[in-house]
Amino acid sequence: MQEHGTLRLFKRGPSVDVRLFLLLVISLALLVVDARSTLLAPVREALAVAIYPFQRVALAPRDAMDYIDRWTNAAALARDEQDALRRQHIEMAQLSTHAAQLAAENEQLRRLLNISEEISQHSIAVEVFYAPPNIFSHRLVFNKGERAGIQPGMPVIDEGGVVGQVIRVTPYSSEAALLIDDQVSIPVQVLRNGLRLIAFGSNEVGKLEVRYLTASADVREGDTLVTSGIGGLFPAGLPVGRVEKVDRDPGTGFAMAVAQPLSHPERYRHFLVLKVDVGDTAQPASEAPHE
Amino acid sequence: MNSRSGRSNGVSPLASLQPIDASPFHRPSNPFFVWGSLLFVWVVSLLPWRVWQPTPDILLLVLAFWCLHEPRRVGLFTAFILGLLMDVHDSEFLGLHALNYLLVAYGAIVLRRRLEHFSALVQALHMLPVFVVAATVAGLLGTWLNGAWAGWDWLWSALITAVLWPLADILLFLPQRRLDDADVNAV
Repeated sequence: MQEHGTLRLFKRGPSVDVRLFLLLVISLALLVVDARSTLLAPVREALAVAIYPFQRVALAPRDAMDYIDRWTNAAALARDEQDALRRQHIEMAQLSTHAAQLAAENEQLRRLLNISEEISQHSIAVEVFYAPPNIFSHRLVFNKGERAGIQPGMPVIDEGGVVGQVIRVTPYSSEAALLIDDQVSIPVQVLRNGLRLIAFGSNEVGKLEVRYLTASADVREGDTLVTSGIGGLFPAGLPVGRVEKVDRDPGTGFAMAVAQPLSHPERYRHFLVLKVDVGDTAQPASEAPHE
Repeated sequence: MNSRSGRSNGVSPLASLQPIDASPFHRPSNPFFVWGSLLFVWVVSLLPWRVWQPTPDILLLVLAFWCLHEPRRVGLFTAFILGLLMDVHDSEFLGLHALNYLLVAYGAIVLRRRLEHFSALVQALHMLPVFVVAATVAGLLGTWLNGAWAGWDWLWSALITAVLWPLADILLFLPQRRLDDADVNAV
């Protein structure tokens, strides 16, 4: 057997140690730059597009199983769904007449106030492609991206309320940070009294935190938090969470509330991305470099 | 058939001779098999089964294995690229997996001379600290950049990855073992 490398008459490139050093320096540089800025977004996007076909291939068996499962259960599912829909239909009938009344009234008031902005939101239905196995963050990758009109900053909702916010897009997929991701912050208000606050992802898994409250702030257990619309990214009035406990610290004069999100990103595979106008300057909250 | 049975009955005195080196010939693996196995475990790593933290990193295992046995084909650069791809898939900071893979690949290349003729078990014992040290460095960097401690589960991942080394040895040398068997039967 010819031992590789024992008989080295000619130099073949740099030695292993030099190569290790160079590549280590490159990785470290990438790490620091990627953690502190968004400069590497195009690189990431290009790589993401490159591996997209392989991801599709890897997940094809799962999708096929899903399809077969759904197909075989189609009759039962359809029946259940029909029952649920009928119930919902009855419940909704009342609400919709009420909503129509409100809409008409709203329209009239808007005309009176000379407000002409369009309030209806367009949305895109997306399906979860996969959940990245990353312990530090709570993310979901969806199966639609820039081609479908999704842009970073757009909010993601399910039937319960706000799920999160799109933070990265490639032409064919998009990545959303969930509300419970500790890099996300969202302007909210208390539904009961209109108190405006900011909710953050929490260190506690699956919870939201409302920080920077004065100790006297009127927040109670059971209060519902909805988006306040401030900042312009999240449309106002979407349910966000329900306050579970309020910690008041008389020493510092501040309080902190912990809330349970009302959306259930772990239960569903389909979500809506709201096509809000994110503009060029608006950076999603989660992209802000953190200390 | 007859001649064969006569030989194997030990009639010939030559049968008592033992080969000096009973270990199979070390011949390079088929490059298609090397790259094919890497591609396969990479695609398998894209599946959602790694959500559980102590899951072994089979891509890293196969990568380290080929770094040790086929350092001419698979080396630091391969490790770096595969690491970057995993970073993109996991939506980690770019370079975190790359760093981990680089360190393991380097460890395998450095230990190659010593480990080449040892059994897979001894190789696994030697590779365990390499996996652990690389995972520790990457884990600490991740902690620093994320500002949050990730727990100890990655240590289990490194441990289980090392434990799987003998299995990788069996599976990845399967084509060669079959060749060796074919040789024996041909005599």
